[in-house]
Amino acid sequence: MQLELKDINYTYPGSARNVFRQLSCQVTAPGFHALFGPSGVGKTTLAKMISGSITAFSGAVRTDQMTHVLYTYNLERLPGWHSVQDHLTQITPPPKHSRMEELVDSFGLEPCLNSRFAQLSLGQQNRTNLTRYLLQDFDLLIMDESLANVDEITKEKIILKIKALYPDRCFLYISHNVVEVAKFCKQILVLRSYHKNPQAVSLQGQDFNGRQPIAEKDLEQCMLEIVNAA
Amino acid sequence: MLHRRIYQFLMIYFIGFAGLMLVKYSLNLSDYVIPGFSEIGMACRRYFWLYLLAVLNTLAVAILGHLLSICMATLVGIIGRLTIWIGSFIRVAAYNIQAYPIVAVAPIIFILLGDGLSSRLLIAAMICYFPLLLSIIGILSEPVAEIEHFFESTRRMNWQLQVKIRAFENMHKLMTVIVGSATLAMVGTIVAEFIAANAGIGYSIRIALYQSDLAKILVALFLIGICTSIYLVFLEWLGMEIKKRIGSV
Repeated sequence: MQLELKDINYTYPGSARNVFRQLSCQVTAPGFHALFGPSGVGKTTLAKMISGSITAFSGAVRTDQMTHVLYTYNLERLPGWHSVQDHLTQITPPPKHSRMEELVDSFGLEPCLNSRFAQLSLGQQNRTNLTRYLLQDFDLLIMDESLANVDEITKEKIILKIKALYPDRCFLYISHNVVEVAKFCKQILVLRSYHKNPQAVSLQGQDFNGRQPIAEKDLEQCMLEIVNAA
Repeated sequence: MLHRRIYQFLMIYFIGFAGLMLVKYSLNLSDYVIPGFSEIGMACRRYFWLYLLAVLNTLAVAILGHLLSICMATLVGIIGRLTIWIGSFIRVAAYNIQAYPIVAVAPIIFILLGDGLSSRLLIAAMICYFPLLLSIIGILSEPVAEIEHFFESTRRMNWQLQVKIRAFENMHKLMTVIVGSATLAMVGTIVAEFIAANAGIGYSIRIALYQSDLAKILVALFLIGICTSIYLVFLEWLGMEIKKRIGSV
């Protein structure tokens, strides 16, 4: 299972400014990986290229052994005519109904089930949205700020649950939070401005899984590396 | 809601009526030009029920025409939302045709279909159809990316779901357009009856016009305003009920 980006060049339509110039990077093996970088550097654009929403670019995106690539972002909404429960039940394939119940329980969504999406808080909305993607068939799930507005404790619980339930899948987590990226992610792709060379730097994260504690010094070192790379 | 709309109509009507009386008495116009209170009262007593039936007749045709145009606009709007050539063709055609004053085509319809129900219905439907169509095409061709993304990425999207999402998300706009076009349907029917018809309040006004009987026209205008207000309030109530049922409020 490998995601490889090779010599990607891209300019926004109607703009003269390059977003990517000869961008190359790769993510190997399944796991919880991160895409990190300052705002406006092109993280969402890159995610859309990987998921196939943007096709007008030069270079190659190779997704070996990844047939189903899904991209989710934090502004998504559920249709307003259903309650959360009705929607989740409808979009979950029958064999995954027990997984749905497990995720609802772990993500603390039980109080939201009978509500409509618009009635939920932003954090609950993001958790609900992420849950429905986790119930689909996917090999790679790109989570673009999917846990924004979720408190730190719940966020940690959710990430650890995802890592425990989907050890054979690949995740690309887009976040601006250096601590969580350094702590939970296995490989961190730091995306930099197009005039820096290389435009993407790969770093190793602490890949915390909740079982073995991580040394504070290692975490700090990793955070420093990320900040310096960006 | 109903009393507010009727109250608003009565205010406008009586302001206009007061203006008319002001003109009559300040310029010392004869009762033949602008009738006095007693003549208007007499016309009201004599023609109220007759004109009420005529207004209800017109309203029934307007409602039918309105329904017809809503169905047609929805159907064409569903096709017009497509990004392929047929969608583009329908959008361009709708934008160009709506620029033409449809009422000018009315005489041709009467020549072809005569002055029966079908002509009134067709003209009423045509007059409110294009504004409805443009709005429905606009609403249905505008993606709601933050909802549709999930269904697109998981390959669950079909045209029914797409239309449902877009209509639901724009329910308020849709209801506003439908209520707005109801007035146009009424206007269209009355215009059709002015030109050539054998029934309806437009036909009655035409006769009163030939007799230069402003009292009858004032009674007719009063009844048109009241009945149209009731119909508009009914549509607004229907829109609110639909929204409640599907849970958007």
